[in-house]
Amino acid sequence: MTALSFYISSIKNEFIKLKRTFAFWLTIISALLFPILFFIAFCIKHKTNTPKIGVNPWDYFMTVQIENSTPFFIPMFIVLITGLIMQIEHKSLGIKYLFALPIPKWSIYFGKLTIVIFAIITTYVYYYLAVLLSGFLLGLLYPDLAFLNFHPEHLKYIKLLLVSLVASLGIIGIQFWLSFRYKNFVVPLGIGMFLAIIGIIVSQAPQSIYFPYSFSVLSVSLGDKMPLIFGVASVTVFSVLCFLVTSILGYIHIKKLNIK
Amino acid sequence: MNQLIVNIKNLNFSYTKTKQDIENLELKIPKGSIYGFLGPNGSGKSTTIRLMLGLLKKNSGTVVLFGEPFTSKTRLQILNRVGALIENPSLYDHLDAVDNLRIAANYRQNIPFSRINEVLEIVKLTQAKNKKIKEYSLGMKQRLGLAISLLSNPELIILDEPTNGLDPKGIIEMRTLIKDLNKKYGTTIFISSHLLSEIERTCTHVGIIRDGKMLYQDTVASLKESKGTNLKIDIEVDKPTEALSVLKNLKMENISLLDDFLQIEVKNKEAITEVIDILRSEKIDIYQVSIKNNLEELFLSLTEN
Repeated sequence: MTALSFYISSIKNEFIKLKRTFAFWLTIISALLFPILFFIAFCIKHKTNTPKIGVNPWDYFMTVQIENSTPFFIPMFIVLITGLIMQIEHKSLGIKYLFALPIPKWSIYFGKLTIVIFAIITTYVYYYLAVLLSGFLLGLLYPDLAFLNFHPEHLKYIKLLLVSLVASLGIIGIQFWLSFRYKNFVVPLGIGMFLAIIGIIVSQAPQSIYFPYSFSVLSVSLGDKMPLIFGVASVTVFSVLCFLVTSILGYIHIKKLNIK
Repeated sequence: MNQLIVNIKNLNFSYTKTKQDIENLELKIPKGSIYGFLGPNGSGKSTTIRLMLGLLKKNSGTVVLFGEPFTSKTRLQILNRVGALIENPSLYDHLDAVDNLRIAANYRQNIPFSRINEVLEIVKLTQAKNKKIKEYSLGMKQRLGLAISLLSNPELIILDEPTNGLDPKGIIEMRTLIKDLNKKYGTTIFISSHLLSEIERTCTHVGIIRDGKMLYQDTVASLKESKGTNLKIDIEVDKPTEALSVLKNLKMENISLLDDFLQIEVKNKEAITEVIDILRSEKIDIYQVSIKNNLEELFLSLTEN
């Protein structure tokens, strides 16, 4: 059996395990939450939000949503979704069973990590589609908002979301390790939520570019002031590095762990 | 029968620095046997099983399975030949039995879907295969756990307290299932339990553990013999004191009266009839005669200080 077949079967199983779980529904609920709120806000204040003639309304609509929701919400969402996905395993006492199977431990660790990332990407996709849909609906309900007269600049917004996703990788690595290690859901959740709030508070400080829980805010708030490393945003570089280091260390730690 | 499926020597392990949880443990499981691993709660049974499967890292000693030392290199190869049910079965509550088995089959790879129905049939869960596990009783969960460990037709099945929490019907079903597996497929089975009666009825071999030390290890038959050949019997009669003096006059050994029951030791089963005849000839009514389980006493004497 090749390494790839172990990895594929691990991922296949993670999909079966996600069936009918709250973790699965959370990806959809989280994606819809902000588009619905913004939809309602635009419905109520559609007159003040009517754009000047010739101005693409999508630009304001998309940027204001992405910049005001993702930086604060994404870290909390990652803490929650990572904890919930690992909880499926802890609740069923699955770790001792998985580690007594004739499969390499890395395929379990990285298979699960892949699913966590997949769930987060799915939420981004659902979110983007929901924002677009809400824009079209607003255009139908209130033609003055002019959503149907213009096209959204997809590439620009997808890039914004992609930057936010990459900036979140660092905390995915940390939270996944914590959630794998601690059976008690409260431990990774408590630590994660606390650090996510700290991340928002300290994001004003210049040193926060070294604090993974601030990356999500910084990826949006710094804009042109973002320090670059070899032409790449420093937050992106640090986030990817943090993800790689914590994933590898996490795996080495879990591999050696005594399963009680 | 001489070939050893599991051979553990000088195994040592401790969770903390202050206490030795497993001490110089030796464990030999012959091929084709049903090995009962007996010990009070907290004696180190589950710890030993976890060490056997590599879930815990041993401090010292050797663990050899199927003639191969258990190392990170041989881990996959060895575990491929083992099916294990460790304490409570690891089941995904929100899924049904088929999904749970499908997950196990995917992990093990090369297991055809038809095998899932086969094992469901073996543990008699075909009717409930599409029910979610949260609707299962404890007995059904244990059976499904066993079905999962059977999936790959393993040569060795390790069952940690398989009858824990089961009702009498569940216990009998589980026992029958274990015996059938051993008989039909020649599967070597290792069962841990704190219930002596379980081991006595099911197993061919027994190991008794206390405080992480193996106190006794042999066949169940020789364990029974090791306590001497005398049978201890309890007799309930209408006139216990009279019966006691009658038997004492005949100079029978080790006679006593406890809670209105006569307790006697006799050499063999024929001697029981003689005692009954004597009591009846004195017009003493007999309500019941029962042979006491010497194994239970032996177990208690071994496991209690």
